[in-house]
Amino acid sequence: MKSYILPVLLILLSTSLISCSTNSNDEPDIDEPATYNFTRNGESTVSFTGQTTRILMAQELFSAMSDFDNSTEELLLEMYRNQTAEGGDADPYSNSDLNSETKSVKSKVAASRDYFSSNASLSAELKNNFETWLSAQVNEVFVNENELAEPGKAGQIASGSSTRYISAEGLEYNQMVAKSLMGALLADQMLNNYLGTSVLDEGTNRQDNDAENTAGASNYTNMEHKWDEAYGYIYGNSADPQNPNATLGSDDIFLNKYTAQVSEDADFATLAEDIFKAFKRGRAAIVAGAYDVRDEQADIIRKNISTVLAVRAIYYMQAGKAALSESSPAYGSAFHSLSEGFGFVYSLQFTRVPGTDQPYLTHQEVEGLLDDLLGDGPNGLWDLTPQTLDEISETIASRFDFTVEQAASN
Amino acid sequence: MKKIVTLILLSTVVFYACKNDGPSGPDVSDFDRQAILENWADEIIIPAFTSFEKQTSRLDSAGVAFTTEPTMENLKELRSEWEDAYISFQHVSMFEMGRAMELRYRDNLNIYPTDTAEIQQNIEEDSYNLELPSLNNSQGFPALDYLLFGLAESDSDILAHYTSNTNAENYRNYLGDLTSRIDELTSQVLNDWTENYRDEFVQNSANSSNSSVDMMVNDYIYYYEKNLRAGKVGIPAGVFSGTPLSTHVEAYYHGNLSKTLLKEAIDASQNFFQGNHFNSTGKGESLESYLDFLNTMKQGADLSELINNQFLLAKSEAENLDENFSMQVELDNSKMLETYDKLQKNVVLLKVDMLQALNINVDYVDADGD
Repeated sequence: MKSYILPVLLILLSTSLISCSTNSNDEPDIDEPATYNFTRNGESTVSFTGQTTRILMAQELFSAMSDFDNSTEELLLEMYRNQTAEGGDADPYSNSDLNSETKSVKSKVAASRDYFSSNASLSAELKNNFETWLSAQVNEVFVNENELAEPGKAGQIASGSSTRYISAEGLEYNQMVAKSLMGALLADQMLNNYLGTSVLDEGTNRQDNDAENTAGASNYTNMEHKWDEAYGYIYGNSADPQNPNATLGSDDIFLNKYTAQVSEDADFATLAEDIFKAFKRGRAAIVAGAYDVRDEQADIIRKNISTVLAVRAIYYMQAGKAALSESSPAYGSAFHSLSEGFGFVYSLQFTRVPGTDQPYLTHQEVEGLLDDLLGDGPNGLWDLTPQTLDEISETIASRFDFTVEQAASN
Repeated sequence: MKKIVTLILLSTVVFYACKNDGPSGPDVSDFDRQAILENWADEIIIPAFTSFEKQTSRLDSAGVAFTTEPTMENLKELRSEWEDAYISFQHVSMFEMGRAMELRYRDNLNIYPTDTAEIQQNIEEDSYNLELPSLNNSQGFPALDYLLFGLAESDSDILAHYTSNTNAENYRNYLGDLTSRIDELTSQVLNDWTENYRDEFVQNSANSSNSSVDMMVNDYIYYYEKNLRAGKVGIPAGVFSGTPLSTHVEAYYHGNLSKTLLKEAIDASQNFFQGNHFNSTGKGESLESYLDFLNTMKQGADLSELINNQFLLAKSEAENLDENFSMQVELDNSKMLETYDKLQKNVVLLKVDMLQALNINVDYVDADGD
């Protein structure tokens, strides 16, 4: 019997190997380095300082939302806008490097070329969502710091051994802001701006890239730089940006962290590696002038970053369901999960289906799901039923090639 | 087609081989789980809470006596009742289920180090809501530890906070509120056990993740891992932080009670494992007898025996420690680390080997998230 199996398996194996190799021969040679290390004349051509800055600004904003003693509505809004209410220069950050910046979080929220360049009204509406949450954190939650939360009343609630501060509907605004920014700022800029052909191939970018005409005094071509800016939205605060997966998960509290968490789920084990490889190969393809390979890699990134957001959305819906289903519902930990989940669901309107100009769930669909999340009764999450959470989870999963169970199993 | 058949045949062979690995023995579902639950509820949990509730009631009476008449004699009496109650608490701390879970009973009674700045602020303002989760670390036994032993160096200076201090009345109010809250929460938990929860607990004897056995075992191991091993020994010894934290010991301000509390907690944990009746010589169905029923072996030895030995090893290692753990981690932390290692070995035996044998899943994870 043994002598029969081995040849069969070998044949099977070789067949699959043959069918995997789809390289055509008319591609330019792509010289792919081992790490994200690209040079010209001995100097690095990789730069994404603006992305690092915005990640750090968003992290300070998140921390400030829990600083009851020192934060004001004015300060939180200044941190979001990096401007005073009158439009003047503001210095709201504790990191002085950030204060000297003219960039801001707000200017890049819902601001991608592909989704928002001709949709200014929606862009403004989404930008304002964050201001509403920041103001509410001070005007609803801070003022009730020493009140016990109950349905319809903001205040504190225990979650395990932590104390959480929630709105009258049971929402933690700081979690909503942090997790929603992952879609509205990071994924939107990455997937729908810098990885899109309208930005990569803008103007004379292709000719310039082919001729290695660098941009101004920089050492990179425009196209190289645009790709790197996408890269910076996930690896911009990495300990070693050339080899970011070595510390993936501990470099920021946004896409870096959650890409690592989703990859810990055995159902998505290769996800972090796939994203990094696609960035590296796509960048090498730009150097080689292989633009169709570049765009294939962009689609791999779009699919996988979208997957991170969707898996986490479902994961938190199911975690909330489990906590609410306990014999005495663990409201605190349920609301914490669901506030994170709210942000991930919100983020889904910024995802990108490969090969299309569409998100996996539209703005209207996301709005519908969030209305469902808060709509089982007059008091939002306090009235939420497990059935609603299952319906939301199934709706999201149905757009992807994984199941609710796979997403929830991390 | 032939290939597929071959593969199917192959995988069947592989699976069959896996399935047939171990010797067949008694099944987990053959054991009388209700008997174990009855023994736990009627002979351990309810008697332990009954006894503890008597102590908290005495503590509260001593608190009332002292705040009404703040003399040195009444202070000493109150301290002594606090000590007795704190020791007695070690026998109920692990039972965080039913009403205790709803109240987050353990977090209200024993989070340390206590937040002295917040305590001082509460006293200063004479206005606070002890039900707020954010005030968990300014009440309970650790807050009383500070108020009874830590306000000043000398006893007379401590007493002066309750007599001649400008805020003396506020100090008395706060102290009294803390002793009465411990007693009141404990009564709630005990009453729920005797009036409602006992029957619900005993009847929920199925073999599933929501059954009483599974929940109780998870709570027990959680307590052993987080509150006993980490809280009493590992955190002060710097196991998680890298450097010893001498202010993080249990009963820090008292100074000479942390070892007593640890030994009492180890005894209580082992008693629960063995099914020993509270404060008597009787014994009933237990995790130990459950494991023995299943003939659970590890590396040629009975698992129950390995676990019992490990409890004894941990206790005898703890005997080498100073009464004052704060002193111990500063003078010779290696002994604390030794004790930690002995306690840690039982985490593995209980959480991995025992749970596997009993077919129970761990229902908690380490991190609380962000």
